[in-house]
This record gives sequence, structure tokens and C-alpha cells, in this order.
Amino acid sequence: MGADTTTDTATDTSRSHVRAPFAPWDRRDLPGSFDVAETARRVGNYKWTEMKLFEALGGWVATVPELDIKMRLGTHCYRHAWHAELWHKRLPELREMKPERLTAPANDAMERFVAAMTEPEDSGLTIEKLVGVYRVLIPRFIAAYTYHMNNTSEITDAPTIRSLKFALQDEFDDWRDGELMLQSLIKTPDDVRRATEHQAALEDIMVEAGGITGPGSIGPVQ
Amino acid sequence: MRQFFPVEDLARDDRFVQTNMAERMSDTRSAVDLQRTAKSRGASNRLTPDRHDASDAARSLMHGIMVGEIQALEGAGRTAHDFDAGDGSEGTIPFELKLDMARQAWDEARHVEISVKLSDWMGTEIGQFQENTVLFEAACSNDPVLRLAGVNRALEGLAIDVFTQMKEFGQLADDPFLEFCEDWMLADEVTHVKMGSDWLRRVTENDPDRRAKALDFQRVVDKLFSFGGARGESEESPIGLARRFRELAGFTDDEVDTIAGMDHDALEERKEVVRLARETADV
Ligand SMILES: [Fe+2]
Ligand SMILES: [Fe+2]
Repeated sequence: MGADTTTDTATDTSRSHVRAPFAPWDRRDLPGSFDVAETARRVGNYKWTEMKLFEALGGWVATVPELDIKMRLGTHCYRHAWHAELWHKRLPELREMKPERLTAPANDAMERFVAAMTEPEDSGLTIEKLVGVYRVLIPRFIAAYTYHMNNTSEITDAPTIRSLKFALQDEFDDWRDGELMLQSLIKTPDDVRRATEHQAALEDIMVEAGGITGPGSIGPVQ
Repeated sequence: MRQFFPVEDLARDDRFVQTNMAERMSDTRSAVDLQRTAKSRGASNRLTPDRHDASDAARSLMHGIMVGEIQALEGAGRTAHDFDAGDGSEGTIPFELKLDMARQAWDEARHVEISVKLSDWMGTEIGQFQENTVLFEAACSNDPVLRLAGVNRALEGLAIDVFTQMKEFGQLADDPFLEFCEDWMLADEVTHVKMGSDWLRRVTENDPDRRAKALDFQRVVDKLFSFGGARGESEESPIGLARRFRELAGFTDDEVDTIAGMDHDALEERKEVVRLARETADV
């Protein structure tokens, strides 16, 4: 059934199956900003940070007296565990056969950030707990995941993009939940001061870390 | 945040009133009202809608379920937090077990949501009954395997029995809302108990002493909840033993027989205590 180039294509049914490999609406492109090793490094940072986040949320459940927030933290705990699982499974596909090796913080500052974020324990510190997660860390996840999704190869790295999209959807939902919880808790000037001071202290460390994957989390370092 | 979190520090709003197992055990009121049973309902003491105190008993039980779910949520969250990922030795747990604990935290959060709504539906307010913190106590062990045995197998095994009873209660009371919710929670609890059974087996595969210690702890917790014969195969126990669902969750026949035996002994013990108390009173 070879193609007959002399026949009018409009009337030749044997040619009707011949189509361009990329449909006109498919504008995906090959080039991407990250090679396999760099992608694996970033994914390892994602997994480490998602793990620290789900552990913190799980641990805090018992420490918050507000029943609705207790339940939300338990719900969000699972979502970040699931993201950690997605990244854990992606690492061997990126030639890292020992996922634990790359399950690491981007740098020392990131490790210090997590230590500072998870420090509040007292039952009166719900604002501080939520600020660390929902006003500092999760916005950084949204930033790093968005940058990665928009800059990786849409063809070679499609599996990472798929996971990023799932994770991002959760991050947006969780950020909104967290912001609502915070707005409902912050009622006095003193509450405002507590929230902003804690946020500033954590932001300082996060800026030093450069984001979830270190400097370059949201673009080449100038 | 500390690595381990003591039961005394569990955070609650002002509505909750807490008690612990020691206080509960010293309460002379029986979980099984043997006098009422003997007088009014033949041999059966099962929690069914035809009991004269059915609505109070069901409300109290639903409140107990709700606070139990809160503690199950807290316990699962703590186990996801307290141990680093590793090979299961030296205070570590496998990464996949941490993930399962996080999943359980979500499930238990839904159970709290469900039981809060059901309590409201049944006319109960939060804090109307005391909260026994025994479930979280069992989730405080420094050995994660003991947590699996005490919480996932013993206490969530009890949850299987309780939800089965409540589902039947909903059926008999023509309350499709209650029956529907218990059906869903029962499915999750079977999953959690199976999780406990599977992980206990896997983590202690090469450590028979650790497994034996965990199973001993499970028996201690099971025995605690046999107290007063509140749960058992006898019709005199308010809550039945859900053999079929326990099997689905990884309990062997022998294990269920052992629990049934403990329940039976506890019921007989309680009856003896009540008999002696009555004799003393008559004297
Ligand atoms: Fe539950
Ligand atoms: Fe459960």
C-alpha cells in the first residue's frame, strides 16, 4: 500500500492516514533546561523537602488544639507523602538506583530552614506552625515546581511534568487551605506581629538557601 | 518539635475532658449492665436499637469513636514523624511504612470528619462524654513495631468490631446515614489493620524476639479492651467480635480465638465481681 504521489490527495483514501507526527495543535518542543543528572538532583531535593514537610505536618497534628486544623494537617500530611513517593519512584528512572543517595537538602541553609520551621511545638503556636508551611515553604514549592515544569523538555521529561502537575495542584489547594486557616487565626495586631516576624525569620533562611533546589530554583543565577 | 510526644500533652480545645485507662478501670460502673440484661432482655446485651437505653448508649459510643479517631489521626501522624526512614532497625522505619502512616493520617482525618457529623446527627455535642486517651498511649512506644501491634492490630481491630456493630445498629434502626458511614469507615479500618499485620510481619521477619514482644503488647492492649466483657462473642457483650472482617485484615483463626477467649474470661470475671458486690450489698 505505497503512497501514490500522482493521485489527488483529496480523493485518495489510501493517503488519508498520512499525518504529520506532531498535530498542528501539538506545540511541544524538544529542548529543555535540565539534563538527566540535573533533573535527578532537583527531584532528590523535592523528595527530601516533601518528606520533611509531611513528617512535620504529621507530628504537629497532636500539638494543635484547633480541631479543624488538626484534620487539615492530617489530610495535607498524606498529600506531601504522596509527592515524596512520586519523586522516590522517579529517581531510578533518572539513573539513580539508590534514591536515598539523592534524597538530600539542597544545602545547609535548607536544612536549617526545616529545623527552624519545625521548631514550634507548644499548643499556643498554631500561627507560627502554619506560617512556616503555608506562607514560606509551600509558595517556594509552587515556584520551584512551576519553573521546572515550564523549563524542562516537554518530550524527554514528560513523566516529571506529569508528576509536577499533580503535585502543583495539591500545593495550590493546600496553600489556599493554609491561608484561610491563618486568616481565621490572625485577629489582633499581636497576631499580625507574630505571623510576620516568624515569616521574616524563616524567609531570611530560605533566601540564603535559594529555594527548594538551592540557587537556581526558579532560574539561572545571575 | 520533640521526637516523641507524651499523651499528657495532647492538644485539645476547652470542650474536651480527658481520662485515661487507669481511671476508667477504677470506675466501678460496669461496661456491661448485667442486672438490666438479666431483668429485661433475656441473655442479650448487644447494642441494638431495641435496648431501652439504645440511643444514649449509641451516642456515647459514637462520641468514643470520634475521640478515638482523633487519637488515631494523631498517632498515625506521630509515627510518620517520629522515626527516620531506614531499614527498620535502630529506631528507623521503612520509607513505605512512613507513607502508609501518612495515608492513615488522611483516612483518620476523614473518620474524624465523619464521626463529628454523625455525632451531630445523633444529637451529641463534642465533649459531652469523657475522652479516654488509651489509643494515643499505645501510639507512644519508642518501638514502632509495638505501635503497629498496639494501635493498628489491637485497637483498630477493636474498631472493626465496633464499626460492624454500629453498621448493624444503623441497619436495624433504619438509619441509612449511619449504616452508610460505618460501612465506609469499616473498609478503611480493615485496610489499617491489614497494614499493621503486613508491616509487623515484614519488619520483624528476622527478629523473632521483637515480633514476640510486639504480639505480647498486642495481647495486653486486647485484654484492656476485653475489660468488663464489653466486646466478645457472647450475646451478653454489647459489641460483637467481627471474625470475617478480622480475617480480611490479616488475623489468623488462632489469633481471633485467643481474643475471643480473653473476652470470655473478662466477661466471666466481671460477672463474678458483680455477683460478689451484690452479695456484699445484701449482707
Ligand atoms: Fe479510623
Ligand atoms: Fe484506622
